[in-house]
Amino acid sequence: MAEAIDYDAFRREVTEFALTRCPPEFRRLVAESRKLSRKVWAPWQRILFEHGWGAPGWPKEYGGTGWDHRQRHIFDEVMAECDCPPQYHHGLRHIGPVIIAFGSEEQKRRFLPGILDGSVWWCQGYSEPGAGSDLASLRTTARREGDEYVVEGQKTWTSHAHEADWMYTLVRTSKEAKKQQGISLLLIPLDTPGITIRPIATIDGWHHVNEVFLDNVRVPVANRVGEEGQGWTYGKFLLDRERLGGANVAPILKNLGRTRDLVAAELNGEADRLKREMLDQRLLAAEAELLGAQALGQEAIAAVMDGRPLGLLPSVLKLSTSHAMQRVSDVALDVVGERLAPRFRRVDAGGPNAEAPGIEWVQNYLYGRVRTIYGGSSEVQKNVIARQLFGF
Amino acid sequence: MPFTATPLVAGDAFDQASRIAAEADAGLAQRPDAAAEAAFLAQCWAQVVELGWPATILAEEDGGAGGSFSDLAALAGGAGRAALPLPLAAACAVVPHLLGAVPGHPLLAETAAGAARICAILPGAATDPDAPPLRLAGNNGTLRLSGQVAGAEMPPDPTHLLIVLDDRLLLLPSTTRGISCVVAQRIDRRLAGDWSFDSVPIPSDAVLARGEEVERRAEEARDLGAVLTCVEATEAAGALIEQTIAHLSTRVQFGAPLGTNQALRHRVAEMYVEYETLRGLVGAALKAVEQADRDAWRSVAFAKLRLGHAGRSIAEAAIQCHGGMGLTDGLPATRLARRLIMAEYDYGDRFFHARRLLAAKRH
Repeated sequence: MAEAIDYDAFRREVTEFALTRCPPEFRRLVAESRKLSRKVWAPWQRILFEHGWGAPGWPKEYGGTGWDHRQRHIFDEVMAECDCPPQYHHGLRHIGPVIIAFGSEEQKRRFLPGILDGSVWWCQGYSEPGAGSDLASLRTTARREGDEYVVEGQKTWTSHAHEADWMYTLVRTSKEAKKQQGISLLLIPLDTPGITIRPIATIDGWHHVNEVFLDNVRVPVANRVGEEGQGWTYGKFLLDRERLGGANVAPILKNLGRTRDLVAAELNGEADRLKREMLDQRLLAAEAELLGAQALGQEAIAAVMDGRPLGLLPSVLKLSTSHAMQRVSDVALDVVGERLAPRFRRVDAGGPNAEAPGIEWVQNYLYGRVRTIYGGSSEVQKNVIARQLFGF
Repeated sequence: MPFTATPLVAGDAFDQASRIAAEADAGLAQRPDAAAEAAFLAQCWAQVVELGWPATILAEEDGGAGGSFSDLAALAGGAGRAALPLPLAAACAVVPHLLGAVPGHPLLAETAAGAARICAILPGAATDPDAPPLRLAGNNGTLRLSGQVAGAEMPPDPTHLLIVLDDRLLLLPSTTRGISCVVAQRIDRRLAGDWSFDSVPIPSDAVLARGEEVERRAEEARDLGAVLTCVEATEAAGALIEQTIAHLSTRVQFGAPLGTNQALRHRVAEMYVEYETLRGLVGAALKAVEQADRDAWRSVAFAKLRLGHAGRSIAEAAIQCHGGMGLTDGLPATRLARRLIMAEYDYGDRFFHARRLLAAKRH
């Protein structure tokens, strides 16, 4: 039998590491809710990698930590509590595990090390103009020509494509099969001729997402993961692995604490007393909802550890945490909105990120709208719950 | 398989309490008016005393069963499934905890046996705006109690009043001269009393205890009451969601079951999310109380705060989903909804608990 794990000691070890090894300037960026980029994530990933913690969710044989679900959960919680940047997920949590499960030996040798040490950056080419929640409707095609596929089409909402090296991409390799069946998963270097990346201006004034146009892009067949036509299965595998994502409430609680400090700092006069109390009440209500979600998150971790099915917990967690997170950001907007919302964007050449101090509160409020849309929109989650509850 | 709620504390006690609650609900439905319902509740009370519910957590030397708080939570949970209109939290936890200030007090055993039926009045009890609140005044060395309390939850035919006022724990027979009571039915059909005290002399033996311990016990007692209320209300919410789904699955309008309508399905999904996060929080609070964590009060306060919001929204959604039927007294779902709405006000409403939490955060 394996030796029992001392989770409290593990938590202390991770905390010690986070506080001593994560560069203070990175922790400050997180504490100030700034937008992060590869410039921060990549060196942080390198530090984790050098400590042997590059891939908390991977098996040991591929350079992972071999931690169990509870340890991974503790790691994520502590990282959030200590204001460490979250690990960039597209390589580690998305395509990495798919390559481990379905990739060839050659693909594992070639792609996993760069993900582990943070030297190679990935983005996800799934969504298309006509295929968002209904991903199976995707229309980007890959036509086989000898040892290559020729890819034609357009991807959208492609997060971080502007700073990525590779895009793991779902493409249609057959039009005859049922719409879920003719899909394959290709790994495409973004410097391949025929690729054009254009930024999409988003509601929050930040640049995270892009359109990616693929015009006669030639991709070696060796870059296909697994079988042709099985891309949908691999995509779903990835989504299933992400079902515990909502269990980590720590970053939202941390943000709630920051928002509470903001309320106290900005509304400290007698004239603001009533408003301060009203906002404090709203934060408390959100905190109660989050603590409920946190208890359910523990339940979910325990279920996974015991090999029991998660049932509706992931959908409940997604709905409640996204909702509570938005309520927290609503409060922040109510604190600073009057003085900062009018100063969203400078008219001179400052660029979208060179703005009034504290403007992140407004940007985070706007960005926060995405929480009830991505990762399965609230409406999709409610459909999932209702189908199970009603049995039809 | 449609949704079936999973109990917070399952087991025989839960099953027994659900059965008793369902029988009481059916029995009440046959009573023609409030007076007949009140008389029937007295029978129900005698039945649960006979089953030993009020003795659950009392020590064996006090005539109790020496059970755990979790045993009591199982009973409260089962009772919640049909909104059993009896003061379980008060009689089984709040009163014994207050009386615990006087170890071995004979009233403990009498409570367990049903001979004593006590109405507890905690600090901050509601009063009407124009009514004088409770106060104690000394006169020639004799303390006198005056004032009014509105809508204090009570067992049928209460024999005693147990009052925490200032730092004193007072025990008065309900027949004491100068005490009068007008009995009412709450929206959840439980009994409540408007108590008036007209310069009631307080003999020294009526002051059971005095000092900080009384204040501490009063706070702890309120939290025990609050957490049991949360358990009960969580199970009521689970049952209410089951009933709402059953209704929407069978009621046909425009040629299809209402439950095929996405707007209604989403409303039910929202009820479920509220219920689940409430369940998570209440489960954590229950654990904290059982383990006597130092910060248990905080978990309880968050659970009760959440109940205020979640209970209300689940109740309102259930009424809406039942359409016109949701507005009728004869529908079990309506009775559960009214219990959920009432539960908010037992042992501190959401504003009361928010104030506690905010005060602690400021220090």
